[in-house]
Amino acid sequence: MSIAKILEIALKTGRVTRKYPYEPPLLTSEFRGAVRIDPSKCWGCGACVKICPPNALALRNSGKEATLEYFVGRCIFCGMCAEVCPAKAIEVTKEFELSSTSLENLKSRVIHRLTRCSSCGSLVWTEAELKSVVKSSPIAEEYAVLCPKCRKSKFARAASIRIGVGSE
Amino acid sequence: MSSVNIARALKAIKRSIWVYHLNSGSCNACDIEILDALTPYFDVERFGIKLVGSPRHADLILLTGPVTRESLPKVVRAIKAMPRPRLILALGSCGVGGGIWWDTYSTIGGFKKLEDILRENGVEVDRVVYVPGCPVRPEAIIYGILLLLGVVEQKVKKVEVVASES
Repeated sequence: MSIAKILEIALKTGRVTRKYPYEPPLLTSEFRGAVRIDPSKCWGCGACVKICPPNALALRNSGKEATLEYFVGRCIFCGMCAEVCPAKAIEVTKEFELSSTSLENLKSRVIHRLTRCSSCGSLVWTEAELKSVVKSSPIAEEYAVLCPKCRKSKFARAASIRIGVGSE
Repeated sequence: MSSVNIARALKAIKRSIWVYHLNSGSCNACDIEILDALTPYFDVERFGIKLVGSPRHADLILLTGPVTRESLPKVVRAIKAMPRPRLILALGSCGVGGGIWWDTYSTIGGFKKLEDILRENGVEVDRVVYVPGCPVRPEAIIYGILLLLGVVEQKVKKVEVVASES
């Protein structure tokens, strides 16, 4: 190809180079970036932890509190966590400028306080999950504060009294 | 080993940083994005960034992939061959945290473990920038290099929120 022809094509095309850090990037509507967890909506149920393919989301139980940790450095930006979240707390953003000089800056944590069973005192679930369950079905309130074992025995006692077996 | 004044060295290479592309068993997505960043569309030569064929000529290594067991000795050798200061850009989910191969038998999983192995072998790394993305966007690669050179500010930071208080 002659230089004249190349010049002709170049002049017709004009400048194509993006001036990226000095102008906004080209992001399509389908682009998925880092996810953001809304701490006011999150229950700490762990559905996102189960679905996450690379374990970028992890739920750690320290005995006093449960910590939902999101490590963006391992995230593959599939958006599955946002799909399965029952509380709609996870939102897929368009953030991609996630570069960092330390791994600690790539982590975000949501800390949940755990509730104890009102009869035996063992750990049951997070405060936020208890609140949301009681809100959706108010009848269960006296059962919701119990651990599964105490709940079962309480229900069995109540049922046996009702049908008259083993009472007195 | 003599200590290196990183700030002085970074100032010297700020306008002409030569990069070496080191693929340690990645799926080629990040590698294609690196190639994309070198095309006239993104044109990293605006910042004096140039791709070189040997780690001995390089200021910066673009490390992609989760570092498979097979490639580990070669990766260590390539990083060892680099002159000081050794600057590394860990690219993609695999390069930063191991990606979906974070606990498989055939990869070492993440840059943190590679750093430990490098330290055992007596190879010091002066500065690392982690660039997450799967694959990384060409803009994210440019952003990562500019963060290393101190041209742009870091946007992410550690977040810790107690759920019931908010």
